[in-house]
Order: sequence, then C-alpha cells, then structure tokens
Amino acid sequence: MIDFIYTTGWGAFIVMLMFQIPFLIVFFSIVNKKAFVDSTPGKTEASKYSSTKWAWVGLTIIAFIVVNVASIQYMPTVIEAGTGNAKEVTVEARSWAFDISDTNLRVGEPVRFSATSADTMHSFAIIHPDGQQIFTMMLMPGLETANTLVHTFTEPGEYIVRCLEYCGIAHHTMKTTLTVASN
Amino acid sequence: MSVAHRIIENTPFFGSMFRLEDNELNPINAWPALMSMTCFIWFTIAVILGWTMPAIQFLDLGSNWYYQNITLHGAAMAFPFAFQLMVAMSIHRAGGCLGKRADGPLVALFYIFMNVGGLLLTLAVLAGFHVTYTVMFPLPVVGVQTGQWDMWVLILGFTGIALVLISMILLYPIQILKMAFFDEKDENLQLAERSLNDPGMMGMVMGVLVLLVVGTPLLMVAGSLLLHLYGILPASMIGWAAKPVVFEFVFYIFAHNLMEAMALMVIGAVYATLPLCLADGARKLYSDRIAQLALWILLVTSLTSFFHHFFTMYPALPSTFAYHGNFMSYATAMGAALTIFTILATIWKHGIVASPALMLMLGGFVMYILDGVSAIVISNVAWNFKLHGTVWAGGHAMVVLIAISAIWMGMLYYHYPLMTNRIINDNLARKCIKYFFLAYIGLFYTFMAAGAAGMPRRNGAWESDWFIWGALMLVFGAGLIYAFYLYFMSLTKSRALEF
Ligand SMILES: [Cu+2]
Repeated sequence: MIDFIYTTGWGAFIVMLMFQIPFLIVFFSIVNKKAFVDSTPGKTEASKYSSTKWAWVGLTIIAFIVVNVASIQYMPTVIEAGTGNAKEVTVEARSWAFDISDTNLRVGEPVRFSATSADTMHSFAIIHPDGQQIFTMMLMPGLETANTLVHTFTEPGEYIVRCLEYCGIAHHTMKTTLTVASN
Repeated sequence: MSVAHRIIENTPFFGSMFRLEDNELNPINAWPALMSMTCFIWFTIAVILGWTMPAIQFLDLGSNWYYQNITLHGAAMAFPFAFQLMVAMSIHRAGGCLGKRADGPLVALFYIFMNVGGLLLTLAVLAGFHVTYTVMFPLPVVGVQTGQWDMWVLILGFTGIALVLISMILLYPIQILKMAFFDEKDENLQLAERSLNDPGMMGMVMGVLVLLVVGTPLLMVAGSLLLHLYGILPASMIGWAAKPVVFEFVFYIFAHNLMEAMALMVIGAVYATLPLCLADGARKLYSDRIAQLALWILLVTSLTSFFHHFFTMYPALPSTFAYHGNFMSYATAMGAALTIFTILATIWKHGIVASPALMLMLGGFVMYILDGVSAIVISNVAWNFKLHGTVWAGGHAMVVLIAISAIWMGMLYYHYPLMTNRIINDNLARKCIKYFFLAYIGLFYTFMAAGAAGMPRRNGAWESDWFIWGALMLVFGAGLIYAFYLYFMSLTKSRALEF
C-alpha cells in the first residue's frame, strides 16, 4: 500500500484528496450555516476556540510529519545511496533527440542513469508502458556533473523515454524507447 | 477629466463596465478602473487562447499553433491580467485606506510598461517566438541559432519581457511603498482608515517587498543580456549572466516568489474584506495576531521553498537543498492552516452577509487552498519525480492563477460601488459564482488526474490516451468561459447607486 502511495501519481492523487475532502466539508458547512441558515453571532466560549485552534494546528503538523517522514525511503537519492553495483547508462539529450549508451535493460538489475544536455533545457523521463511517469530528470546545459538517478525495473516491457521540459518547436518529437527484458 | 478617465470613456464594451463619474475621488478611482478594464481585455483574449489549446489537438491543427497559443495564453494570464488586476485592487485599497492618491507618474508608467511590454511580447510570439511563458533559458537564444525564430524576434520578445519585469519588480513596489510610508495624506480620499498593522495592509507591504528583493537580481541578469543584444555591452561582460544555471536560478527564485507575493497580497485582501461583511457589524477578525503570524510564516517559509523547482536535478541541486525545499514547502501549509482557522473562526463568531463580493472571495479562497494541497504534494521530493513535467505541475500553475484572480474579482465586486457609484447586478453575479466554482473544480481535478495518469505538460502532439482529459478540459473550460461572460454582464448591467 505504502509503495503504491509513494511510487505512483495516483498515490499522490489519493493523498491530495485525503487533505482536500475534510477541508471542503468543514469549510462549506461552516460558511453555509453562518451565511444562509443562522447568521447570528455564535455563542461558543473563548476556550473552545482556543482548543480547536491547537487541535487544528497539531493535526496539521502531525499529518505533514507523517507524510514526509514516510516518503524519505522513496527519495531517489536515498535509494541511490542504498544501491550497490549498478549498470552504468549515459544519456545525452539535445534538440531533439536522445543519445543513450544502452537501451536494452533487465528486470531486477539496478541501472544508474547519468544524463546531460548538450544545448538547452531538456529532461530525461521514463514512462511505464501503462502511461504513468516513473521519473523525470531535468537537464540543464553547461553543468559540470551529470544528473544521476538509480532505478531498478520490476516489470519487462517497452518503456517510453520522453523530454518533458519544453525545448522548442519540435519538443514533442523528442521521444524514444527502452526495452526491459525479463530475467 | 484625467487621461485614465478619457481612455475608459472611449473604449467600447469594456469601457462600459468601468464608466466613472467625474468627482473628487478620481485620484483613487481613475487609474485602478483603467487597469481593471485593460486587464479584462487581456483576460478575454487569454481565456479564448487557453480553450483553443485542447481544441487545436482535436482538430489536428499542428504543434506550432499549440506552442504559440500556450505562450500567449500563459503570458497574458499571468502578467497583464492577474498581476495588473492585483495592482489595480491594491493601489485602490491603499489609496482609500491610507488616504493617498493612486495616480501620478509611477502609476502611469506601470500601466504603460506592463501593457506595452505585453504587446511587444505578443508581437514577438506571433512572429514565431514560441518559448512558453516560463522561459527555459537558453532556449530563446538557441532558438535563434537553430533557425526557429529570428534575432529581431528575440530582441523584441526580450524587450517586452524587460518592460513587464520593470513594471512588476520596480514600479509597482515603489508606488506601494511610497503610498504606505511617504506620500502626504489627503483626508478627503480616506474612505476607511486602516493602519499598516492591519493584517490586510501588512500582507500588501510584505508582498511588494518580496517582489523588490527577489526580483532585482533577475533584472540585473536579464538586463545584462538585453544590453548585450542591443550591442551596448560586449559578450565578455555578460558571460556570467548567460550561463543557464545563473539565469534559471534567478528566474525561479523570482517566478516562485512572484506567486508567493501574490498569495500574501491575496490573503491580505481576504483579511481586509471579510471583517467588513460580518453579520453583526463587528468589523474585526477573530484574531489579528494569528492572522499576522500566518502572514509571517508564509513569508519566511515561501522565500526558500523555490528549491522545489529543481528537485529532479541531483546532484546539481544537492539533496540537502532538495530536502530544505521540501520542508519549507510543507511549512507554508502551517501558514495556510492558521489562515483557514482565522477565517472560519471569524465567520463562526460573527456570522456573514452573503454578498456576491464575499462569496466570490471565499470561493476563491477555497480554490486557493485546494490548489495549495496539490502544490505541497508535488513539493515532496519522492512525488516530484513522478509528477514534475506532467500536467499536474502545469495545472497547478494555472489554477493558482485562477484562484488568486477569483479573490481579486470578488474584491473588485466589493470596490465597484466606491469606484463607479454603481452596484453590480446581484443575480448575474450569484450565477457567475456558481459556474465559476463548479467549472474550476472540474478543471482542477481534470488536470491533477491527467498528471497522475502521466500526461505530459507543454506537449504539442497529443497521444490517443490523453484526449479523454482534453475533452474534459474543453467542457469545464467552456463552463469557465460562461462564468466569465456572466461576470462581465454583472458589471455592464450594474445600476446607479441612489442616495
Ligand atoms: Cu527537450
């Protein structure tokens, strides 16, 4: 479950809803009551406001700590630090093509992608055959070190490589594929 | 009759929304009314261009049209529309609350720089300068080298951008600081006295200081490049500014904080207006101190949260900065939580009069919070790698502008009788708010879901899987257009105040 939350866009979408729906319910019920049902001043005691305030602030802090602490193990740099030997693949992006040192990869084998840009801003994004984005790396030209990320494919298939930073009038043609074979 | 007043008189349709009386309040009314009128002209064009983007894909009109419209739509929406509307409302508010004139050379210069700059950029885009509205340097220059657009087009476009930046980073902040701290007070112009400690005024002053401080480095960098393009500075002197890493960092420090400054202003506007719409006439927030604390938290945390634009650039962005950006982005939510509390506690304690002005502002506030949640989700490092580059990110930039604009449009409803001696058409306004909110919700979740599903942003050749999202964008976009039509009608069909 936690893997799904942090490794897919839909996981992020669900967490977003978990914050938004309670907010919408509370906000609309209060506004509706005090605007259309009974707009006379509330008779709530001062101490009740104060305890609500602290409960609300406390809840926000706890929610954000939980969401962020749980995400640490999914940060790419943390994953990279925990990976031993990885297959090295270099990527050079230019307007409007990718030069990838090896496009045949294997399931279960960690791959370190080291990517650079030769001319303008590009990105190197890998898209799952189901259309979801696995990751993107923003590539700025003129940097001394390559942008790196380690990824281990878990499913075989044809993965799409795409540039996601707008890079000129043929930006959408900047696309290729990677083949991941089962082990 | 002032120049501003005359331009309004002579503008068809849009002029009729802001027709002024010639009276002693002209020094605070005329320029804000002119800016509001002008920004809605830009808005109309921008809205239509936005709606055409999915339409271009359905009609298969080609990527060039798509990239042209995305550039024009984004630039017009963010600068001559949203920013200019904010300036109109804030100088009107500063004028009426502090008793200071909202006209004079700086205001006129702002108006000229913003709108002429916008026009020059528009001409450049029509001549092929398809860079999208977040300039990905060095694309503008690389585009010339690779024959995508001509050198003169680049110079024209950069000149336009420079004028717009000067208006936002220097002219407007200096005008507000001048009004707040230096200009002489005229009792006749002071409609509702407020001190600078008032959370509403405080948000405004914080906002302009942010623009001035984070914008000046960008002006230095962009100014150096432009002077080189004009042939004034040699290449050897501007090499530092032409480095992509230099340009991109100063650009995002500004662009990110521009949005945050607009947020500070808009929260300040809600804090300023809500107390005036309370059912028991209390005219105060639940707590000024908590409101001020929320603004301070937003100010401090937002300044360095811009790192979240660079999360996917490891190791050029060391992981410590990525983590810092992640933490700061989430900390802005503490400011938002306190703001939500203050607003709801005020409403609960005093009750509200559900005028269209207040309802649109509260609706805009809800939009702003919904968008804020989407923003902090994508500001988590782990999720950012999944979502950056999808329409989740593009959608966030877009809906935050809609949310902020909704609050200003609500505020314009509130200011409208003071400005024009007319009251808005209540029926049409209420109908507008309903469509506005529902269409917003539809569009917002369409963008977020499309992003979660992996649809890339700024892509001029859609693949078959993405058209379902495009169809929803067309439908909800049409809903928004209808809401905006109702908004215009609620102003043109206003009636004179009777005394
Ligand atoms: Cu590219």
